[in-house]
Amino acid sequence: MSDAYEVAVIGAGQGGLPAAHMAANLGAKVLLVEDREVGGT
Amino acid sequence: MHLVRDRAAEFGVRGIDPKSVSFDMSAAVARKDTIVSGIQTEIYKKLGRNKNITFMKGHAEFTSPVDIRIDGKMVTAANSILAIGSKPAPYAIPGLKEAGFITNYEALKLEELPNSMIVIGGGYEGVEFAQMYARYGTAVTMFGRAPRVMPKEEPELSEKLGDILREEGVDLHTSTEVVRAGAENGARFVLVREAGSERRYEAEVLLLAVGRNARVENLGLSEAGVEMDGPYVGADRCLRTSASNIWSLGDANGGLMFTHRATYDGPIAALNIVKALGREVDYRVVPKAIFTEPTLASVGLTEAEAKAQGHKVRVGTADFAGSGRAKAIGLPVGMVKLIADDGTGELLGGHILGPRADDLIHEVVTAMYNKGSAESIAKSIHVHPTLSEVVKRAAKALR
Repeated sequence: MSDAYEVAVIGAGQGGLPAAHMAANLGAKVLLVEDREVGGT
Repeated sequence: MHLVRDRAAEFGVRGIDPKSVSFDMSAAVARKDTIVSGIQTEIYKKLGRNKNITFMKGHAEFTSPVDIRIDGKMVTAANSILAIGSKPAPYAIPGLKEAGFITNYEALKLEELPNSMIVIGGGYEGVEFAQMYARYGTAVTMFGRAPRVMPKEEPELSEKLGDILREEGVDLHTSTEVVRAGAENGARFVLVREAGSERRYEAEVLLLAVGRNARVENLGLSEAGVEMDGPYVGADRCLRTSASNIWSLGDANGGLMFTHRATYDGPIAALNIVKALGREVDYRVVPKAIFTEPTLASVGLTEAEAKAQGHKVRVGTADFAGSGRAKAIGLPVGMVKLIADDGTGELLGGHILGPRADDLIHEVVTAMYNKGSAESIAKSIHVHPTLSEVVKRAAKALR
């Protein structure tokens, strides 16, 4: 079940990053996906 | 660059011949890239330290509300957060696509400084890039649809910003409509309707800066069960979309399309998923800043908006021309305008055009967040000589 996540965050910009960290820090298994550059444009 | 070229002598710096000062665009872009890649390295380090986060580089496409294909690999996610951001809105100017144009994305990656540029759009992207390129030395012609740049901002301030752009050499045209674009003999052109007639303008580069839509292409949102609200993702005040297990944040939802709004939304979406807190976003007090020089920053209602909402208002203003600090740094331009309810004294809006307005606005933000009046700003001691004294003077003028 390594490919099952509680939360998938689509986009690792300035909104997706804090969302992913918060969900992970609350204990969720998080997948963060980015198709361009992290940090947003 | 423009300070060195245009103002060195004024500050007593000798030995600079303005004619010999030139700007190396590729060096500036390389410097920016170095800064950005340093920031990205920090982001990857922080992600690497978080054991609960798996990072994947690739394009995500929903095949159902819980199934996502990432460049061919299938994963499942009980819940998802769309943090997809925005992209320039398609703008139906005949011939524009064929003529070739750039957007904000390419405007920060140019290898060479263009000799001339036409900026289409009088909003925040338009004014920022118009001033930036004009100061680098590009001949900039700008076309806005509204009667002034930044039409949603306090008129006194956006009119003044337009004057400043003109003084700096931007050929600014307002109340215009770009009706056609094209390319001929190596130069690009636009046909513009203004004051009842059509005129043709030419430039090396066309920059389109006319608003942004959610970046939803090939995301499989209909398979996910997520409904759109016009060009944006539809989300409620808890940031939940029409699909009960999918949330959405930031620019993609429309409204206040600023990075700090997305950063604010992020943890709220996460809390609502993981802890089911049902927390609502609070957009009562969202500041914004336009990074021209002087900066334009604002929060809350304009005077006209406050009146339209039925408030009897009190207005307090103060000019940067009266600030010793603004004079010393060579930017004694602009003003602070505060708007309060006449009965309760509650601050309803703050608008600043001036040096460091982007920092100064936060004193107003804090007061407004606490539903406060301007009294704490007016009464508290502000350091002399600082620009913040202008905010205090405006607060005192409200009384």
